[in-house]
This record gives sequence, structure tokens and C-alpha cells, in this order.
Amino acid sequence: MFLWVIQRLCRPHSLYGTLIAPMASTFMNINRRFPAILFSVVLIAIACTSVETIPTAEIAAQEINKTVMCPICPGESIDQSQHPLAVDMRGIVNEKLEQGWTGGQIRDFFVERYGPSVLLEPPREGLNWLVWIVPPVGVAVGGIALYLVLRMTVRSNTRRRESPVDEIELTANERDHYFERIEAALAFDTGDSRQLEVTDHSEGQGEPVDR
Amino acid sequence: MNPLIVDAGFVALPIALVVGGYVMVASFLGAWQRTPVLVLSARYGMITLPILLMISTLALVYAFVNHDFSVRYVAENSSLALPSIYTWVALYAGNAGSLLFIATVYSILAVIASTGLARKLPYTAPYATSVLAMVLTFFIGVIVFLANPLEQLPLAPLDGQGINPLLIHFGMFIHPPIQMMGLISVAIPFSIAMGALLAGRGGRDEWVDQGRLWGMISWLILTVGLLLGAWWAYTILGWGGYWAWDPVENSALMPWLAMTAFVHSIMVQKRRGMFRMWNIILVAVAFTLAEMGMFINRGGPVPSVHSFAQSTMGWLFLGFMAFTLLAALAAFMWRIDTLKSREKLDSMLSRESAFLTQNVLFLAVAFITLWGTIYPVFSEAASDVVITVGQPFFDRVNGPILLVLVFLMGVGPLLPWRRANMQNVLSALRVPLIGATIVTIGLIVVGVRQPIPLVAIAVCVIAVFGIGHEWLRGSRSRHRKGESYPVAFGKLLGANRPRYGGYIVHLGISMLAIGAIGSSFYDTQRDFNMALGGSASIGGYDFTYLDVGSRTFSDRVETTARFDVSRGGKRIEIMDARRTFYVNSGVSATHPAIRSTLIEDFYIVPSEFTETGAAVFRVYVNPMVWWMWAAGPLFILGTLLALSPRRRPAPVTLPLPKGVQLARA
Repeated sequence: MFLWVIQRLCRPHSLYGTLIAPMASTFMNINRRFPAILFSVVLIAIACTSVETIPTAEIAAQEINKTVMCPICPGESIDQSQHPLAVDMRGIVNEKLEQGWTGGQIRDFFVERYGPSVLLEPPREGLNWLVWIVPPVGVAVGGIALYLVLRMTVRSNTRRRESPVDEIELTANERDHYFERIEAALAFDTGDSRQLEVTDHSEGQGEPVDR
Repeated sequence: MNPLIVDAGFVALPIALVVGGYVMVASFLGAWQRTPVLVLSARYGMITLPILLMISTLALVYAFVNHDFSVRYVAENSSLALPSIYTWVALYAGNAGSLLFIATVYSILAVIASTGLARKLPYTAPYATSVLAMVLTFFIGVIVFLANPLEQLPLAPLDGQGINPLLIHFGMFIHPPIQMMGLISVAIPFSIAMGALLAGRGGRDEWVDQGRLWGMISWLILTVGLLLGAWWAYTILGWGGYWAWDPVENSALMPWLAMTAFVHSIMVQKRRGMFRMWNIILVAVAFTLAEMGMFINRGGPVPSVHSFAQSTMGWLFLGFMAFTLLAALAAFMWRIDTLKSREKLDSMLSRESAFLTQNVLFLAVAFITLWGTIYPVFSEAASDVVITVGQPFFDRVNGPILLVLVFLMGVGPLLPWRRANMQNVLSALRVPLIGATIVTIGLIVVGVRQPIPLVAIAVCVIAVFGIGHEWLRGSRSRHRKGESYPVAFGKLLGANRPRYGGYIVHLGISMLAIGAIGSSFYDTQRDFNMALGGSASIGGYDFTYLDVGSRTFSDRVETTARFDVSRGGKRIEIMDARRTFYVNSGVSATHPAIRSTLIEDFYIVPSEFTETGAAVFRVYVNPMVWWMWAAGPLFILGTLLALSPRRRPAPVTLPLPKGVQLARA
């Protein structure tokens, strides 16, 4: 039934999906049917999406359209906007492409007419490099800071807590038993983990503020 | 029409301003000087605020519904031609009315929050109430002195100027109010954190439960607001997309990002007593970004498609933002000695460190977004060159970080608290990795060859399989104890609600990500110049332009093109694509025809029609968009599950010895 629906829904190459899904569920062991079904849904859905062949000239035009802003409808590219001006500008892009202009030349042409704000992506020159440089530098600095903070707090901590606990060897039988108990605990987790933890943060609201 | 009603609304505003100022001062002084009477009177004052503001709001709605154009704001934002159902919501179409709406909604939320606080955190509550009242007083002050929506004209015009036609859409009823509520609701967790800080109790983790509760409520409202905005853009702006990194979209996204970081890291404080300073910083950043959002929305310096509430008062919001930021910083420095962590990190690889990494990345996306949004202002100031930073920049810079975040979402929950090692991480990741590998191979077989979507989908699959696998394991071990699978699954979810509610939200995020990946890498679009009766096809859909008709209304002309759409030789349906021209404002709005299925959307947008009825139609086939909208209910469900209170054991009561009397407050 499930497969039938999917076959009705999709084009022929989705058959791959319906073939792979049962294979996957056997491979992944019958108990894991849930992820297998999820996976096949994703797979089939993507298999069914169109693989449309659009003339490359049109795709090139769309690529350019998406980088040029419609000058009188702020925030929208000429690709998005249905404003007559945007439609005209799309026409200009097509025309120039036919005449053999490159994307860069077409963008320059619009910049000459409307100023640099017509480009949705600032030109990479002069001061504008800042736009591009700041984000990666910021992420890098954040990453390094995170690493340093983690290392600092962890190192000062492990020195104090060297303990042989990690090295205890369990027999295979003991380990199975242990995991079984964990699974049971997981399933019947009360959710109130504070019961299990140290409770030195449970001071009530009863006492006055100490200032 | 009763002019007294508008007058009552007009008078209620300055009273609310005075009461708000009183609550702010009395609540703080009462706590500071230990004067319970002051605290109590401030609490009662707080309760009157929503009542007063409600009077003004209802008066404004009354003026709109009755077309009372003697009220200047009504004359500027509606007209007799406005469909009557929209008069009920036109109050937030412009600047002054939206401020009143924000203040009213916020006052209601603030009363609910401060009542809960007074019960749960008696020492923190007065300070938190004072901060809540301060934010509210600022808004009321702006309304009273600078943008009073109930101000009357000496002479009432016969008709109003009308509303921005883009706002006449069903989305008007839901997106703007929820989005505004989301932005202002960030003030509540902020006030709770500040209250705890001022009370000197920031380091005790007692504020965490209330902070988390309101943090998640705020997160949920912001999420729903963003999703509805995306949906609205998709169904009316007619560019086949839902997100454009527009400055105002960004300004709503930034506080969402910071709130997302906050609702995660607050869990670490709840469970482990760590990140105490960090949580205060995060919530202050979230509130600052929310204020930044309101600044950009209200006549900020950046042009946007959202310029509905334009005014010159944006700078005032910037000033208020600077003030709250500095005040928060001062309070933080003053109380920094109360914020030491209870415990330290045990290992570089643990759930705590995964949370911290996630926090840093979310803030990174927020600040990159902020940077890209305000860079044009700097550039103009520095070099007099006006430039635009738009979608291509944000896609390229934020895309990879968002992908890493989805990966962390898959891996993080599998890590144990305190300490993990590579071995147990790998064993927990085994099933998700196998799943991701199979899906990737499958996708390559099917013909998906671009590396970025392959990696992106694999990362989503890891997240989904990780959750599915854990649910399956838990349900199975309950099943072995004799419960049927559905019951076992239900009880599993009920057993640890914060965790499994979070998982449901994570599934929603995965759906959102898959939708975004599918629709941004595999969308197909073409322009068709079609005359009446013409046919064309795209992506397996064949469509014929049947006819076109115009209908004239008092304020607009609707031109509707009908298409007969079929797929693979089988007729699907007749679809209507409409273009509406609003005569008064000279603006056109499109209403695309959309056919949505689980797999893809077929979407037709008309541009200008010629005399003969020929027109250029933009047609899209957008894969997987449905999944993005379907994620919305999962967000709501997951958040509610995570917040749902557990039944607590009844407190044991002991009879008091005879002769003992309880003191009453």
C-alpha cells in the first residue's frame, strides 16, 4: 500500500528509493524499521523532485539576476521582484548575455547606472573587504577563546580529580548487565535528575538576602 | 459612534505612564529598603497597567471599526474601502498603533510573569518587576509623548488614506502580532535575570526555572513569528522564496539566535550549576538584539521591504538599547562575585562543552548577521559609498555555520554529561552514521551529485537517526517490561519531558533544514511569456493558460489568470494566479497560485498583464517546502512538552502544635 502510494506520487526513478528502502531495513536489522522508513521517505521525496533541464543561458541569467537589487523595491533582487523595472532589467541581462557580455560586465553596467548599492553582494575591493574578513576572523577568535576557556577550566580540574575509577576492567558479562540497567533507567527515567545529583544548590527562598 | 470611548483611551495612556513609573520606582525601593508595603503596592500597580492599556487599545480598535477619521492614526492607516474584517487588526499597521499593541501585549505577559515570580522567587521578584516596569514605561512614554495613536484631528477627513496593500492578507492576523510579541517577550527572561542579579541571587540557581520557562516561551513565540513571516512572504510577495536576509528579517532572527543559545545553556546551569555568568550575558545579548530589531524596524537606517512602521524615533530605541545594555553591564560587574560556578568542567568532550560550542556558534551567526545588516551604514559613513549587503553574502557566510549547528544538534544530545571519550561517542554515533552513509549513497545513486546538499542532508540524517534510535531503544526496553509499543513510546516521552520535548523540536529543525536545503539547491524556475490558450511545461508539470478576468472593487482591480495544470498526462487542478492593483496607492500585489505537496510546490506568479491578456509568468518548482511549514506544529508541541509541569508529590503536612499562630504577610 505504502509503496503503491509512492509509485503513484513519483516519477520512475523513485523506484530506486522503493528498492533501496527494504534493502536498508534488512541491512539495518528489522528492529530499526523506524529510521529505515524515515530514511526512505527522505530518499524518495528527493528522488521525486524534478531534475529539470533548463537552458544554460537562462541559468546564467538567473545567477546574475540574483545578485542585482531592484533599485526601487529595496531588499528584493531583480530575480525576485515582479515590478516592471525589475522585469525590464531582467530583459537587459538576457540581451547583454546574448551579445556575449560576461556577468561582471553586466553588473558593472548596472553599477554605472544605479551606483554600487545595486549589487546585493558588495564588490570585493577597498574598504568592502572588511565585510568579508570580519566574519571568519570573528569565528576564529571565538573558537580560540572557546578552546582556551575549556582548556583552562578542564586542566585546573583534572589535576584535582585524578582517580583510578576509569581504569576498572569489567568482564563482558558485567558490562552487559550494566548496560541493561542503564537502558532500564533510561526508559523509566524520572526526569528529575536533581534527585540523583548533589543537592547543594537547593537552598530555598526562605532566608534573607545577604548583602 | 461615541467620542467618549476614544477620549477614555486617550486619557488612560498618561495614567498608565504615571503608574508604570511608580511601579518601577516603588518596586525597587521597596525591595532595597525592605518595605513590603511598597513592594505590594507596586505589584497592584503592575496589575492595573494591562487594564489601562487595554482601554486605549480597545478605544483604538473601536475607532478603526467605526471609521472614526477624526483620530489621526485611523485616518492615516485605513479607509472606507478597507474590508471590514481588517479594521479589527489595522491598529498595528503603522508605527504608533504597533507601539500601543506591543505595550499592551507586553503588559499582560509581564503581569503573568511577575505574579508567578512573586510566588516562586520572593526576593528576586520586586527587582524583576521593577525592570519589567521600566521597559514598559519606556514604551508608554514614547507613545504618550511622540506617537500617540489616539491623537485627534481638529477636522475629520471624509475618508482615510488607506493601508499598505501588502498587509491585506490573512497573514496580517497572525504574523505581525506574534512577531512583535516575540520581540518584546525577550524582555521577560532578561528582567528575571536582572532581578536575580540585583537581588544578589544570580549565582543561586533558583532563578533558572523561571528564566528557562520564560526563555522558552519567548523562543517559541519568536519561532512561530518567524515561520509565519516566512510563510506570508512565500504566499504573497510572489518571489517563490521565504527568506531573503532582509534587514528586518535579520532583526527578528538575531534575538531568536541568542534565545536559542540561552534556552540550551540555561539547562547546564539547571543541571550542573555552571555557566552562571554566561547565562546572564546571553540573555542580556538577546534583549539587546531584540531592541536592535525594534530600532531597525522603526525607521532604522537600513532600507527594507518591511518599512511599514517608518518613523524618526528609531534613534530613541537605539538610545534605550544603549541604556539597558550599560545598566545590565553595571549590574553584572557589581554582582560578579555572586556568580561563581558551583562546579567545573570535567572534560573537553562532554555535553557541557557541546552546549558551549553551540552557544558560541549561535552567537557567531547572530553577530555576523548583525554585521552584514549594519555594515552599509558604516560604509556610507566612512566612504560615502552606499552599498548593499544581501542574500549572497549571508548564504555564503552563515550557511556553513548553520550546517555545523545542525551537526552538533545530532551529536550533542548523544554525549553524556561530565565526561565522554571518543569510544562511547563513536558507539553512540554508530547507527546515525550508518544511516547517513546509506542515505548519501542512495542519493548519489538517485542522481544528487552536488557536494553541499549531500553533506547537508547527511548531517540532518545524523540528527534524525540519533533521535529515532534513542526513542527506539527506550521504547524497546519499556516494551520488554510489558508495555505495548505506542504506550511505551508515550510514557517514554512523558518520563523526561525537557529532553524529549527538545528532541521533538530538533526533529522540527531537521525538517526545516531539509526543506531549506531542498528548496534552495533544487528549485527550478523559468519565465514564460504566454498568450491566452498557450501551454508550457516545467518539471513534469504541463500547464495551459485558460483565460484571464478582471474584477473591479472600490479600492482595487483584481486580474486573475486561470491555468489548467496536469502532471504526467493526468489533470491535477485549475489554479488561479492573481495580480491586484490598488488604485489609491498605485501599488500592485501578487497572489501566486501554489499547489503544495509533500514533495514539491508548483508555483505560478504573474507579472504585468498586457491588453490582450498575454503576460510573463514566473513558474517555480520548489522541492520540500511543505516540510518547513510542517515543522511549526512540532516546535509548538515540543516546547509545550518540555515545559509541561510534572505532577509533584503532595507536600507532607504536619499539624502545628496547639497555641502556635502563623504570621500573615
